[in-house]
Amino acid sequence: MLAFVLRRVMQSVVVLFVMSLIVFSMVNLVGDPVDMLVNPESLPEEIERVRRDFGLDQPVHVQYWRFLAGAMSGDLGNSFIFGRPALALMAERFPATLELATSALIISVTVGLPLGVYAGLRPDGWGARIIMGGSVLGISIPTFWLGLMMIIVFSVLLGWLPVSGRGETARFLGIESSAFTLDGLRHLILPATNLALFKIAMVIRLARAGTVEVMALDFIRFARAKGLSSRRIVLAHLMPNILIPIVTVLGIEFGTLIAFATVTESIFAWPGLGKLVIDAIVNLDRPIVVAYLLFVVALFLVLNLVVDIIYAVLDPRVRLQSDEA
Amino acid sequence: MSKTKAISAARTETGLFSRLVRSDLSRPSTLISGILLLLIAISATFAPLIAPTDPYDLATVSVLDGRLADGAGRDVLSAIIFGLRTSLTVAISSALIALTVGLAVGLTAAFHGGRIDAFLMRIVDIQLSFPAILVALVLLALLGKGVDKVIIALAIVQWALYARTVRAAAMVERRKEYFESAICLELGNTRIIWKHLLPNSISPLIVLATLQTAHSISIEATLSFLGVGVPITEPSLGSLISNGFDYILSGAYWITFFPGVMLLATVAAINVFGDQLRAMVNPRLSK
Repeated sequence: MLAFVLRRVMQSVVVLFVMSLIVFSMVNLVGDPVDMLVNPESLPEEIERVRRDFGLDQPVHVQYWRFLAGAMSGDLGNSFIFGRPALALMAERFPATLELATSALIISVTVGLPLGVYAGLRPDGWGARIIMGGSVLGISIPTFWLGLMMIIVFSVLLGWLPVSGRGETARFLGIESSAFTLDGLRHLILPATNLALFKIAMVIRLARAGTVEVMALDFIRFARAKGLSSRRIVLAHLMPNILIPIVTVLGIEFGTLIAFATVTESIFAWPGLGKLVIDAIVNLDRPIVVAYLLFVVALFLVLNLVVDIIYAVLDPRVRLQSDEA
Repeated sequence: MSKTKAISAARTETGLFSRLVRSDLSRPSTLISGILLLLIAISATFAPLIAPTDPYDLATVSVLDGRLADGAGRDVLSAIIFGLRTSLTVAISSALIALTVGLAVGLTAAFHGGRIDAFLMRIVDIQLSFPAILVALVLLALLGKGVDKVIIALAIVQWALYARTVRAAAMVERRKEYFESAICLELGNTRIIWKHLLPNSISPLIVLATLQTAHSISIEATLSFLGVGVPITEPSLGSLISNGFDYILSGAYWITFFPGVMLLATVAAINVFGDQLRAMVNPRLSK
């Protein structure tokens, strides 16, 4: 087991290193960040000075070496635009993204689970058909477009909810979040729902499939024969059995929520990580782009590592297979 | 040997097609999505003949009497028809490139097995552990804007999926007798891969390619919306929606609304049609 974990950790480190090499050499191919930093009317000497100050006059391999040396001591370089450490900027923005992704996760379970279970209990009824049709639509509909339509309906036409930003935040139990103020909640509703939509459709499908499968089993029939109310059968006998796979899948999908938050944050001007990196791409702010990419690669490597370890603990066959390879 | 194989491969293909036409057109969802797809394909192919104005021609801007205009003063309907063309071109050409690369990698892995297989599939696993939209975003951040760059990025995003699927299919074929006899006849690796492994492993890829096209259209639109995909000068469904985003608060909803409806219709039609196709290739899935 230890050998398995160690090998996977080593593999992750190699992937991270290779990615840093690819990312770093490739960001240097697009555009010249100096053009973004100086006044278009500056003198050539001044442009050269800026280039030297940012170390951009050095060849790429020297720049990479400097970056790697810094990265080893936890310094991923300073943002060209903000003039502050890239890591600190990301740490500032991360809570907003985390808050958005967590809210979306909560919404997708509270909305998707009851609908999916209902559709699974009466698979041929009208309600189930409407729900399943809706879930096909939910998977097909482009998230960003739906976000725009939500803005048009709820903000422009009805004027109920604010269009952009995070609103007021408050501190509760040491966590700074918009979820603790009324104004913050009003700002949170649209982006969180938008981000949750795809996952709602997914939870509906998982819950329905699970319900159909479990309801056909003998222990449910026995519970019925015992004369239990259908309410009790669903809550005490069905739920625990369908929740395990749903929770597992959602855990894995949390990473994609953070990735997709990039899109939602751009639409609703949510001051999170995604917005930071999109702006950095447009402004050729290389250190932020590199730092973000490496952060995301590391995040996914850790998530996958954890999932693989959990699987290996639960299912010894996985372990044997990878020992042979 | 190879002749009989080709004949049997051809038979399953026509069988699939005729089954699609005969039995399943009776289902309303297949019929509607099929007709919709046909209409979409025709209008994208013959865009210059169908669209009322040419969105690339700036001279038409002034003669928009009573038609809806987008932020660049183009006729929205024409821009959508031409945008559909761009979106489909991107999705289909990236699918073809990814399919070719995926086939090559998947067949190589399945044919050689052992270390080569383990190495290639490890790369596939690593790539597939990252969400497609994120990989595409990263690639475009590194490559820059443009239709060609979006095609490259989408091809890189998708090849791993094709590689994994074709490898799985080819692994099954490898255990069959005809494959063993081809090996015993010492037919040469290239010939065995091309004439025997390829024709028999390709059918699951057709379904995958259909569904992936819908996915690529969606990703292209998202990337163009984020401003890293197709530039606004080249209308695509995503860049049109993105352009309309700037006018949303001034009430000009049509610039985003109609391209979005077109996008939704295209993606939904391909998804429904592809699901049907999958159910036919793998009858166990349909209850």
